[in-house]
Amino acid sequence: MGATEITARTGPIPNNRRRTIFEFLQSMPFILPALILFAVFFFYPIVKVVYLSLFLTNSQGVAKHFVGLAQYVELFQSPDFVQSLLVTLEFVLMTVIPGIILALVLALLLERSIRGIGIFQTIIFSPISMSVAAVSTIGLMAFNPSVSLLNFILQRLFGLPNINWLNHTFSSLVAIALVTVWMNIGFSTIVLLGALHNVPTELYDSGRVDGTNYLQRLRYITIPSISPSLFFIAVVSMIGSFQTFGQVNILTQGGPAGATNVVVYSIYRNAFFNFQYGLASAQAVILFLIVLVLTLLQFLVLERRVSYS
Amino acid sequence: MGEHQKKTTSRSRKVVGIGVVSTLGLTALLAGCGGGSNGTATNGSGGSGSNNGVVQLTLWHAMGGATGQALDQIINDFNASQNKIKVTPVYEGQYDDEFNKWKATQGKGGGPNIMQVYDIGTKFMIDSGEIVPMQNFIDQSHYDTSQLEPNILGYYSVNGKLYSMPFNSSMPVLYYNKEDFQKAGITTPPKTYDEVLADAKKLTIKDSSGKVTQYGIGIATYGWFFEQMIATQGADYVNNNNGRTGTATQAIFNGPAGLTTLNWWKSLYDAGVDLNLGSTTSLTQNAFLAGKVAMFIDSSGIYANMVNGAKGKFDVGVSELPRPAGATGGTIIGGGSFWIPKDQSTADQQAAWQFIQFASSPAEQAKWAEATGYFPITKAAYNEPSYQAYLKKYPEFQNAIDELHGVKLTYATQGGLIGVFSQARQTVQDMIQSVLLNKQTPQQALDSAASQVTQDIKNYNLTVQ
Amino acid sequence: MRESRLGLFFRYVFLVVASLVVLFPILYSLLISLETSNNVATYPPQLWPHPFHFGSYVEAIQTAPLGRFLLNSFVMSAIIVCGQVVTSLLAAYAFVYLRFRGRNVLFYVFLATMMIPGEVTMIPNYMTVSSLGWLNTFAGLSVPFLANAFGIFLLRQYLMQLPYELFEAARIDGASQWRFLWSIVLPLARPIISTLVVYVFLQSWNQYLWPLLTTNQTNMQTAQIGLSMLQNQDSLAWNLTMAGVVIISIPTLLLLFFAQKQLVKGLTAGAIKG
Repeated sequence: MGATEITARTGPIPNNRRRTIFEFLQSMPFILPALILFAVFFFYPIVKVVYLSLFLTNSQGVAKHFVGLAQYVELFQSPDFVQSLLVTLEFVLMTVIPGIILALVLALLLERSIRGIGIFQTIIFSPISMSVAAVSTIGLMAFNPSVSLLNFILQRLFGLPNINWLNHTFSSLVAIALVTVWMNIGFSTIVLLGALHNVPTELYDSGRVDGTNYLQRLRYITIPSISPSLFFIAVVSMIGSFQTFGQVNILTQGGPAGATNVVVYSIYRNAFFNFQYGLASAQAVILFLIVLVLTLLQFLVLERRVSYS
Repeated sequence: MGEHQKKTTSRSRKVVGIGVVSTLGLTALLAGCGGGSNGTATNGSGGSGSNNGVVQLTLWHAMGGATGQALDQIINDFNASQNKIKVTPVYEGQYDDEFNKWKATQGKGGGPNIMQVYDIGTKFMIDSGEIVPMQNFIDQSHYDTSQLEPNILGYYSVNGKLYSMPFNSSMPVLYYNKEDFQKAGITTPPKTYDEVLADAKKLTIKDSSGKVTQYGIGIATYGWFFEQMIATQGADYVNNNNGRTGTATQAIFNGPAGLTTLNWWKSLYDAGVDLNLGSTTSLTQNAFLAGKVAMFIDSSGIYANMVNGAKGKFDVGVSELPRPAGATGGTIIGGGSFWIPKDQSTADQQAAWQFIQFASSPAEQAKWAEATGYFPITKAAYNEPSYQAYLKKYPEFQNAIDELHGVKLTYATQGGLIGVFSQARQTVQDMIQSVLLNKQTPQQALDSAASQVTQDIKNYNLTVQ
Repeated sequence: MRESRLGLFFRYVFLVVASLVVLFPILYSLLISLETSNNVATYPPQLWPHPFHFGSYVEAIQTAPLGRFLLNSFVMSAIIVCGQVVTSLLAAYAFVYLRFRGRNVLFYVFLATMMIPGEVTMIPNYMTVSSLGWLNTFAGLSVPFLANAFGIFLLRQYLMQLPYELFEAARIDGASQWRFLWSIVLPLARPIISTLVVYVFLQSWNQYLWPLLTTNQTNMQTAQIGLSMLQNQDSLAWNLTMAGVVIISIPTLLLLFFAQKQLVKGLTAGAIKG
């Protein structure tokens, strides 16, 4: 470890070039493990997926036949893929916005240190520990009209019909969205609650003097103060929604008639069921670009309206 | 949570106050680090090897529940019957999953020595070049195939060669709840599409508020049923005589037979008498057992499961698959068969062949048929006293057997041969849903599904040549 | 700030309602798992199991090797946790304490990996793992996740708050980088490492898509994938399936129960500063 002795720095100052090289070598043992892993499992695959998207592949994934952008053209001409994109966007809207609102409400409820709050917190945070496989399996039962307790309760409380959740176009997507929102609620609430606790109390005190009510304080003090966290949640849950897979695989397999065939599921189907790795890679590239563009857009549009203290 | 409001926490307190949490975390960490060093070398269950001269064989299958237990029984019988070969069954999930796993391991090792594949995987298996045709073993050991059911062999024979040994063979039948039939005053089960619609209306029960409490029928939107329904009308799924006289290049299920079937299916759904629970058949089976549907269509292979599940609640009736009035075709004898992969030593292959002969023997086939509801693949099984007793006990099941023996072998009833059948089935399932949910008219849906499947066939044929 | 009595009352009412709604799926699975198979397939459904029937748990364990699945999940998660702690700590250390050319660029390159969804890279990664012969191994399950930008970022933010004087003091004492990291930084960073451990453990334990792709042998499957073995039965036995759900959820629920504070603190800190 002699090379990394800190005391080496206090010795006679080497010339600039030597020092640069030395510092670089010194840092490599720290950086390399992560760098190598990132190179192999993040950067190389990005290049490879673009490469594969330009080829027809055989069932072993070997690029066999160069087709250029043909698969992209094919995808955008395919009503199924266009539907899949629309379903994905619809799904993202259905999960991100309600998810943020719900998490905000829950965080506001949990904000005060009142008696028993710890129990409520544990309960409301609990979804963070549940797996998509477990929750979706529960959903399989809860959304099945022939045994559903959920339907029974909805019938009794709100007089709803016995919904056949997973076999209608819109309700199947709602079912997947319900599972997704539920799964995210723990994480989002934790983050927002932390943000609420960090709002300086003086802000509220001055607001109180002005004779504002709760909703006004919420509108003019609380929400602007926690806007960085709201923004963070928006970005994270949007990316998460684009990545939805387990719920779809367990609950609907993309059906009925493609109503829940989100892009990631479609990639999975094409790659690991139909063994069309090339086509699936083209879809993956498109997914990547969409997520990238939307994230950058969010940064540009939303972040301007976010106030950092 | 008071701590959160404090803006400054002294760092030393943080260090001291690690508590239970990080201890727990660090324990996991340490345990994990320990595991990391030796965790990577774990061997899979696949592959074979011999131990003390005993040949170890792995068998992959897709038989869950009571059916899986019955298969385990056959394997135990085999292992006990001799001491040179030991077969270990591995349940790999449902057919699709199991088949995909095989595709993924092809030629990379870790695959099974005996592979159960569903009927529609036949063409892919042959094209893969990764298997040894069963005919080779049959010819070498002069195995007598004359006792095997010709209607079952028909599916797995291609160009006069038997590629795999049928094992679990079944056909779709109509199951019904006898109590419900009695209550509705129906004496004979419906045979035609029109009769099904009429009876399903009688069997549908609504409560005072108009909510349906019992549906007349439940048909899972499973692609297999559609394949069967057009075969009963004598229609082929793909061209070149269902791919039996040459490689198929085009899907042709979008003819009148397909249209009749979809129109009927939709009429049931629109009349509010069909409970659509998607393509997972077990959900509809469940609804039947829960008394939510009075009739449903499914494989004869689940007969035992249904009879057991309904025990103490109602009697289960079995009738042949309904068809349009006057249709003269038959059903396709589906199910699964055993394949011997090439990727293993000759000794292992021979051992696998030993097991397959054992599993095809009349005594084992009789036991298998009794425990499940699959058809014995050998006619001699009907002479086994235990099976005769079984048929006496469950006379209902004779209807299914009559259906099997009544089938005339044609290209339609032999079943289609394409390498992308699992994809095609998925496409057809989407097609059925899009008709039921009014997204497309039946003819539109048929045409677009057929052209999708044709495209898939073309792509597949390109990569195989 | 005090709340009026009425306000407090409503707060509790809403909290109870919210808790019931959030808890519903978990309670649901618990109740169903205690039903007998006959009572479970009835409509209208039975709300409260009578009698309580624990047989489903026994049956679930007999139907699928749940113990093996749990062990696999645990080993896989532990390897990933270990790897991420090591790679994150090393990288974060370099980003905070070492000066070298390209440091900032490299940091942003690392951060950029957070923008790449795993679903985009899964096809090439699957091919890589499969060509290394890593299907059905713990290596295949865990190596792609041994480094993660989130962990590096979280630790870097934390280390930057530590007083730089510590570093200078160590320098004067003649400690090597490694000794400084081991005997000063590591103990100080323990709280945030605990957060990372808990968070990564939860994430890894609950992984679904990657283990689904890379394992096809029962003895290597994780709990999340093995669960489907209970639903794939020819006739769905809901009580059995739900018993499986409960069994595979207990470890993470317990972890959350004990480690909640740590997790919450770390996550909020990371998110706010992020």
